[in-house]
Amino acid sequence: MKIRGIAAMGVLALTAISLTACGSNSDPGADATDTGPAEPVALTFQSLSDQPGAIAATKTIVDTWNTENPDIQVEVVPAGWDGVYDKLVAQFNGGVAPDIIHYEAASIIPFAVDGYIADLTDLVDEDLTADISDGIWESVTVDEQIIAVPTELQSYMVFANKALLEAAGVTIPTGDTMAWDEFQDIAKATSTEGKFGVAWGLKSPTATFMSLGLGFGGTYFDGTGTEATINIGEGEMAVPTRISDMAYTDKSIDPVSLTQSGSEVLASFYAGNVAMTVQGSFQAANIAKDAPAGFDWVVLPPLEGTEGAEQSANPQTLSVNIDSEHVAEAAKFINYFASTDNLAALNTADALIPASTSAQEKIATDTAGADGWDVTLKSGAYLTKAPFLSVDTYTQWKDTVATPAYQKFLAQQTTAEQLAQELTDGWDQVNR
Amino acid sequence: MSTTVTGTNRIVRPLQYVALAGYLVFLGFPLLWLVSASMKSSSELNSLNIQLVPESFHWANFSDALAKQGLLHSAANSLFVAVSTTVLVIVISMPAAYALARFRGKIRTAGTGWILVSQVFPVILIIIPLFLILKRIGLVDNLFGLIIVYTTYTMPFALWMLQGYIASIPVELEEAGSMDGASRLKVLRIIVLPLLMPGVVATAMFSFVSAWNEFFFALVLIQSPDNYTLPITLKMFVGGEGKVALGPLAAGAVLATIPSLIFFAFLQRKLTGGLLAGAVKG
Repeated sequence: MKIRGIAAMGVLALTAISLTACGSNSDPGADATDTGPAEPVALTFQSLSDQPGAIAATKTIVDTWNTENPDIQVEVVPAGWDGVYDKLVAQFNGGVAPDIIHYEAASIIPFAVDGYIADLTDLVDEDLTADISDGIWESVTVDEQIIAVPTELQSYMVFANKALLEAAGVTIPTGDTMAWDEFQDIAKATSTEGKFGVAWGLKSPTATFMSLGLGFGGTYFDGTGTEATINIGEGEMAVPTRISDMAYTDKSIDPVSLTQSGSEVLASFYAGNVAMTVQGSFQAANIAKDAPAGFDWVVLPPLEGTEGAEQSANPQTLSVNIDSEHVAEAAKFINYFASTDNLAALNTADALIPASTSAQEKIATDTAGADGWDVTLKSGAYLTKAPFLSVDTYTQWKDTVATPAYQKFLAQQTTAEQLAQELTDGWDQVNR
Repeated sequence: MSTTVTGTNRIVRPLQYVALAGYLVFLGFPLLWLVSASMKSSSELNSLNIQLVPESFHWANFSDALAKQGLLHSAANSLFVAVSTTVLVIVISMPAAYALARFRGKIRTAGTGWILVSQVFPVILIIIPLFLILKRIGLVDNLFGLIIVYTTYTMPFALWMLQGYIASIPVELEEAGSMDGASRLKVLRIIVLPLLMPGVVATAMFSFVSAWNEFFFALVLIQSPDNYTLPITLKMFVGGEGKVALGPLAAGAVLATIPSLIFFAFLQRKLTGGLLAGAVKG
């Protein structure tokens, strides 16, 4: 009897599948051809917004747009960051990619190089073009074509426990930037028995080193695309060497923290076991939310190397699928999305730095510098295009060569010379 | 003699229970920690004051989890896909496994080879061709498409499991049934099937869990939120830049575990072994 039941369910399921296979029209790509000229244009917008506030802000932006533009209706398709690269590869190959794609510059550029992304150069509003710095525009430019509109950025900032700095007799830096030497001095001054000056989550160190390396002239790569060559010199080695010295010579960085993620070291920071932590600027929102009552913290000025305080800009972006039947309409929506009020609302929710100057100014006014927003926003001025964004095999080199090599160096398993050699040899291997 | 055995039991049995309890705690601790994390506030989760019982119970994690991206709807999708996959896998693999176990010949060799070869290909290698095939037949962004993929992907291992169970049933039992006048179908229904039930249950559990937890196929093949399965929705609690909404994620994971627990509780009574002990003598 039970077997008959199971068999019947199986037959039913197979019948249902067969019927679905015959009758289903769930192929998203098929909708566009059915749309008559009188119908409103329907755009799909694959959004990666993950914070509740950012999801709500995105929904508000889209709802407002849909109300004001009955002829161009946008539908948000939420997706997660994890695995989105593979998802996009399948979507583009299968011809079902959404019209508007939310991603980040470093990851969307390979799709643009492969010809999947529309050129927005002539479709971005002039006001928006002028509102975003050239350095940030360069981070989304491929072969002199703008392939995305940048929306949100992060920089690496030093968060400090004000009470511990004052107890160590440290004058809290207030300038536009803070020299690395000064940062190292403060770390030493605040390191006491059983406590460290800094906890730095460097479980995945490559992005941090490559971004902060710009301050020492560490560009890593010469040339672009498949012609790029690697160059590991003094500027490229400055940040890892200084961090290693702080951890093992000065003993001012907790060496355990070097094996943790940024979020994982925050508990030590809240507990007062470390005086400072270097984090992505977005952590300001988490610190404001999770730190114990009465925890007095500040954001210190951006770190400045021998060549400046530059960090790499790898903004979150909005791009348009080149196969979309409504590229112009999609670009129109993106222009609206990137307007001052919208970017300010989105970045406030995500605790990130808006790409546009006007949105930065709006947040500065709205927040009045609370939770370190004044310093964080100032750091946006130092964000610029990093050469690695234009290098074809960067992601492969980063994941298979650079990250393990840096991890070994930070664990003192290799010397600085060996690290430089591994990075160079690994590059040659990846590009063989 | 029996006094000695009883005396030994008095010493050994408590030790066995202690060892068993220790093992259960070892197995259950991650689940306990998950339940604990699901009831902690974000600030407690980010403090060094680590304890199993939360300082204060933060039930908002559950409401946040339920509010996020339609967790219940995703759970219903996952349940539908997992149960359908399980039924299909069992219905198709039972006769196939019987043939593999009982009939010798070229088909058996080819079948066994196919099972082994199919396990060699990494998912990432087949995902694009699979996507294109499913798109051509209109099964991208379709739960039935996902069921077909899961069934196909789970089938080889299920076949392997079941044919092992069938091979362990003495063929003499079937021969005895035939000699008593039972048809082949009756032998299968009355003798083989009851003895095979533990194997069927174990295979069903494997198929259910595989489909319930699968992430990558669902990520690529499912496009619209209405069709998202639970792993996709849960992954959305993990954001960019390493941001994780740990409390709601843990709460969502706890809720996601409940259907599996019910399914297992229902099936585990059938998972009895030793039915064949003493079945064939001499």
